[in-house]
Amino acid sequence: MSALAKYRHVFLTGIQSNLVYRWNFAIRASFSLLHLVYVFILWGAAYSGKQEIGGFSIQATLTYFMLLLVLQYFLSPANDDYEISEEIRNGLINQFITKPINYLGYRLSLYFSARLVTGGLSLLPVLAAIPLLGPYIVFPGPEHAALYALAIPSLAFSALIQFTIAYCFGLLTFWFLEIQSFIILSLAFETVLGGQIFPLDLMPDWLHAISRWLPYYYQMYFPAALLTGRITDLNIALQGLAIQAGWVLALLALATVLWRRGLRRHTAVGG
Amino acid sequence: MFAAMLLHARIWLASIRYSLVRAMMFRGDFLMWALVEFFWMAANVLLVSVIYDHTDSIAGWSEFEMLLLVGTTQLTQRLLMAFFWSNLFELGRNVRSGHFDFFLAQPGSPLFMVSTRKFDLDGLVNVPVALAIVAYAAHRLNLDPTLGQLALYALFVGCGLVLHYSMLLAIISLVFWLQSAKGIEGGYFGLTEFSRMPREALRGAAAVFFVYALPVVIVSNVPARVLVDGPDATLTLWLLAATVFWLFVAVSIFHAGLRRYASASS
Repeated sequence: MSALAKYRHVFLTGIQSNLVYRWNFAIRASFSLLHLVYVFILWGAAYSGKQEIGGFSIQATLTYFMLLLVLQYFLSPANDDYEISEEIRNGLINQFITKPINYLGYRLSLYFSARLVTGGLSLLPVLAAIPLLGPYIVFPGPEHAALYALAIPSLAFSALIQFTIAYCFGLLTFWFLEIQSFIILSLAFETVLGGQIFPLDLMPDWLHAISRWLPYYYQMYFPAALLTGRITDLNIALQGLAIQAGWVLALLALATVLWRRGLRRHTAVGG
Repeated sequence: MFAAMLLHARIWLASIRYSLVRAMMFRGDFLMWALVEFFWMAANVLLVSVIYDHTDSIAGWSEFEMLLLVGTTQLTQRLLMAFFWSNLFELGRNVRSGHFDFFLAQPGSPLFMVSTRKFDLDGLVNVPVALAIVAYAAHRLNLDPTLGQLALYALFVGCGLVLHYSMLLAIISLVFWLQSAKGIEGGYFGLTEFSRMPREALRGAAAVFFVYALPVVIVSNVPARVLVDGPDATLTLWLLAATVFWLFVAVSIFHAGLRRYASASS
């Protein structure tokens, strides 16, 4: 079986197992519309009597949050870290040590299949709400084409960063019994420094400058800012893409080191 | 009746004692979780700070009134995290795995056993931080609450805890129908986001739904307002009635689910 065929099978199996939980995803996606309602009301009240905040209209800010929601479903790992942790704890990874399949490739295939299902299902309530949301959606015009083009590799890098962070957290199980606190702590940083509760350009300049060097900035904010016109300077965009690529490489290297070192600590038991 | 209550109180105390011993056995884990909760609170305070860097008022609420609201929500949520969150979160997992049988075999009401088995000290250690946010906001607003106002505030925060518990229980109990709680606890966070919002910001259908139909806005607005404006008989009755009603709804959903439960173990 060719290398590609192996991972294609994993991907297809992943789609099937994710479809089993379609109602959970649909409920979760519907609840996320609640978040959108919250965002609309909060920012609507903040914009009351104002034409713009931080140089952006209310439509631009709401478009940013809507896009973020969609990207979240297509890019953010849902349970990958916990599943990896379970596989290590229960000894299920033993089969990957003896079989000709790369564990990172296997998990990455499952990540893509889960994202395809959750992303697709989350689009349904968003599409249903389009008649209501439509007047608030504004994207930059054709003059922004170069930045749109940069958003494509940026989205791919963003997926890799998000997956690799989850993968690394899962691998921490080789050293720690419980990894949930690490994950939730990282989620808190990600929520703030990834631009999920407010666009990062609204933060004080010093904090914004620091955040540009952290991986959280490139998880979601950077591609969303490229697509919604919050980043308009081509040089800054290229610089950001280079930093983002750097984080992808650094995190993949970290994942490889953690896997190798972790396996040295791992003890496979049972018949 | 009294004997049964005493028995349950003793079971709860034993569970708390066990959880405290466990927390002290895994001190690193305890500190990490305390830090996690602290950062989530900081994130909410930062949101207020960032928005008010760009505006003076949200629906007529000043920055420190908003901080009072956010602090009150955090206070209620820290109490929920300390006493109930882990228990209800695990309910979702346990129904799927069949471990829920274990609770049915225990010498107490299943709902009580499910809700009180664990106590998270890390949630409780952040209660003073949330109180400090409330106190700081009150200080910056030059509030000088009377003892009566403080007592009502404490009562309303207690009602808030019951309301948050009810919302979480109602949502997690859906697991009896869905077979998996994967992702549904997110619904609780989706709903409680509205408790960080001034009631006046909601208008039209949103006001009908989030202010009047669901208790997600009054749960924080009523206690915050009692410190700013003093007691209001209508709001007090409204919050008390909502607390009783939603607890009844949540417990009914749980028991309806319990009747469907057929165990998952072999």
